[in-house]
Amino acid sequence: MESLKNTKKLFLLVTLLCPLLLKAQVNYSTNNGKISFFSSTPIEDIKAASGKASAVLISKSGDIAFQVPIKSFQFEKGLMQEHFNENYMESDKFPLAKFKGKINQNIDFTKNGEYDVTATGILSMHGVDKQRTINGKLKVMDGKVQILSNFNVACADHNIKIPRLVLAKIAEVINVNVDATLNSINK
Amino acid sequence: MISKNLKSLLICLGISCSAFAQDPDSLLNQLSDKTTNDPVSATFKSTRVIISQSTETQKKYDLNFLIAHRFGDIGGDFGGSHTLYGLDGATDIYIGLDYGLTDKLTLGVGRSKRDELYNVFLKQKLVQQSQTFPITATAFVQGAWITRKDGNNQFSNTSDRSSFFFQALIARKFSDILSLELTPGYLIRGVVTDPKDTKGLFVAGVAGRLKLNKRLSLIGDYQIPNFSRSDKLTNTYYNSLAVGLEIETGGHVFALNFMNTPYIIENSFLPDTQKSWTDGGVRFGFTISRNFTLHKSKNPDIHSKIY
Repeated sequence: MESLKNTKKLFLLVTLLCPLLLKAQVNYSTNNGKISFFSSTPIEDIKAASGKASAVLISKSGDIAFQVPIKSFQFEKGLMQEHFNENYMESDKFPLAKFKGKINQNIDFTKNGEYDVTATGILSMHGVDKQRTINGKLKVMDGKVQILSNFNVACADHNIKIPRLVLAKIAEVINVNVDATLNSINK
Repeated sequence: MISKNLKSLLICLGISCSAFAQDPDSLLNQLSDKTTNDPVSATFKSTRVIISQSTETQKKYDLNFLIAHRFGDIGGDFGGSHTLYGLDGATDIYIGLDYGLTDKLTLGVGRSKRDELYNVFLKQKLVQQSQTFPITATAFVQGAWITRKDGNNQFSNTSDRSSFFFQALIARKFSDILSLELTPGYLIRGVVTDPKDTKGLFVAGVAGRLKLNKRLSLIGDYQIPNFSRSDKLTNTYYNSLAVGLEIETGGHVFALNFMNTPYIIENSFLPDTQKSWTDGGVRFGFTISRNFTLHKSKNPDIHSKIY
């Protein structure tokens, strides 16, 4: 009977402590990260941008995840935006582009500073998953983390086909730029 | 006893901890807006199906310059090899400009060869299909003015040269591959040549697009202006049927169209089509268009540049 009481006490203690212990872990997130891309050919430069990228960073594990609705990308030309969604990205079928990975370096998120980092994980786009290691920069400043990155995506890697007729206008490799400032979330 | 308690302890511990465990996926899901209700886009690839209007309107600040052409009869008395299956002739040519005042309101002007007809139209998208709304509906109003010489004193009043057309365009994109449209309308003409004919005509219509593969679509368009019309008219008038093959090239859309009506705008082709598919009165028709964006975005992140 005594041992049962002890177990109950222990049980109570652990259940109460468990969330407290985890509270030490600080996570970061945003809902309005900026992602833009740039297609450049000798004939035409095309740019588009979205301010609706979501991002999550788990400070303890270095887990990082980004996602952006394809339809949130704005183009200067409305018709171009429609073709982007309809013909190339098929955004009704594949509404999101995602990256889920892990930061390869150990970062002390309690100290302000700039860190060059790489993240390895899966880039999912147009229904095709691709293992990637992406370079970026982390800026820790007063409880916020800014993530900057610039990387290339080859259309062919994600099964995005460009008809020969417009090949001169649309680059085969698209340059993607990420700028997201994540705020800490404490639970 | 102890082991049982230990078990329940472990379970409770697991539950309590997992509620706070943070994996990036579950956090992302919490973040992303689940109430997104994106409008269904590109019900049709163009602002016209073939002969009738589609529910689509011009994008804001986009100006579309278009030239439509209808050749002569492929077969029958006016077709055959003597006219290279109609390609020697042009029964109608339309030159027009469509401008997007807003994403939902288009203003158009144009001029047709037939009757030297000038037209102005307004097209307003009223509702757009989405996850919560089943259809897209667009209202279309077009006034036209005949400017050809009055050969046989047909126009006793100046107003006889005018005609007005009102139409409701109701479409649904059933899936990626199938869009259908109903196009009820009403046409008022200034004058009719046949005393048994009525100035006002009710029009029914149906149009659709079926995607065969990523680049190829079949389009069909059937306009029925004659169901309420007297069948004792001197001339025989036919409903207009058009079929076409739409070829997408990732930016440009080419269409190979065939139709029995020799004319292009509604005010012209709805009441006056005297050609039928059965007597060789089918013709080839095409539209070429070029879209100009008359507005530079203030956001440098989305500037596009053509060298």
